[in-house]
Amino acid sequence: MSNCISGVAKALRATRLPVQTSARRTLAYSNGCKTPSIAESNGINVLRIQGNGVQQGQIRSFSNSSPRNKLKTMQQIKTRNKSGPFNLTAAVLLVATGCGLWFYFRSEKERMARKRIAEQTKGVGKPKVGGPFDLVDHNGNRFTNEDLLGKYTLVYFGFTHCPDICPDELDKMALMYDKVREQCGQDVLLPIMITCDPARDSPKVLKEYLKEFHPDIVGLTGTYENIKQTCKEYRVYFSTPPNVKDGQDYLVDHSIYFYLMDPEGDFVEAIGRNFTAAQAAKVISDHIGDWDKPLKKEQRWT
Amino acid sequence: MGWFSSNDDSGVKKTSGGAFETPSRTNRAKCYEARDAFFECLDKHQILDSINSSSGRQATAKACGDADKVFEKNCAHSWVEYFKKQRVVNYKKEMTIKKIEAEGGEIIAPQLPIGNPK
Repeated sequence: MSNCISGVAKALRATRLPVQTSARRTLAYSNGCKTPSIAESNGINVLRIQGNGVQQGQIRSFSNSSPRNKLKTMQQIKTRNKSGPFNLTAAVLLVATGCGLWFYFRSEKERMARKRIAEQTKGVGKPKVGGPFDLVDHNGNRFTNEDLLGKYTLVYFGFTHCPDICPDELDKMALMYDKVREQCGQDVLLPIMITCDPARDSPKVLKEYLKEFHPDIVGLTGTYENIKQTCKEYRVYFSTPPNVKDGQDYLVDHSIYFYLMDPEGDFVEAIGRNFTAAQAAKVISDHIGDWDKPLKKEQRWT
Repeated sequence: MGWFSSNDDSGVKKTSGGAFETPSRTNRAKCYEARDAFFECLDKHQILDSINSSSGRQATAKACGDADKVFEKNCAHSWVEYFKKQRVVNYKKEMTIKKIEAEGGEIIAPQLPIGNPK
């Protein structure tokens, strides 16, 4: 996109040069030809009689712009008419402008579509996905929905005793996160995994588990009630038995989506399993690129 | 069986209930390896279902009993059940897709109404 625009600019720059030189050449030609007559006569009379060629030469001292489409001799008119108004310069300009416009409109169209998704899901009043929660992070510190503000967050629900899907998705999350950071900066996205299995997933278990995927992923756990409330707010279905015995072996069914939340804590888009890490990273990066308000929490209230 | 396997030193460490003590990457890898070996044996003996029917369980015990034991030893019991059931589901899914494609249909991955992968 930007390549193409700079290409247009380059093409413009390149074409301006020959235009100028050709104008200068016309002037030089007319000067060379008509100078004696200017020198001999003086004033307005000459202007009227000699016409354009002289006019050009005399006006030049007042203004740089000169009509360059005026042709003097029959020969010039003939050569001009032979090729018509189209030449290489015009063709290059046409193609470059067309190309530039096409890319511009295409990117605008994509941006508007994303904006629509972001606005659509923003909800009127209360957000449709997400909401207040009160949990504990993998270091044992309190973590609430307030801590989501000021950055984009990527929220995933899972559990450490998940056989195959969650580990795959978390590996993908780590890839996505690195790609987005590469494109948008180190401090714009926060990856979070909220466990659906608080009975087994203590902060310590989560920390051990998540560091194998990416050291930056924040694991959240809490009481069964708090987890249940959070899952409800994020429209996540899960099936953990409420009262489990120590060491009991069970699996948890849960919905598999990445939830992208904006720096104001509002839901933007859900990313399903059918996205590859690269596709998901592009979706996230594009949304981050669209964000025109300040990212930092402190700045948001000034 | 959970008590026996947790006393056994070979295989991964498990809780009294038969779950992984720590579902770490290495433990998962061991489990996947044992699973693949077990499934290979099932493939060789043309057994699809090793869990849902009694005839399937008997055939499995006869043909792939040893591989099954290694599988149980290296995975949480819930994972073993999950993978055995998943094998049947995956096969049926594959067959359905093949059937639809043979009839000239097209499979489109389910998507949310909002957002498309580009």
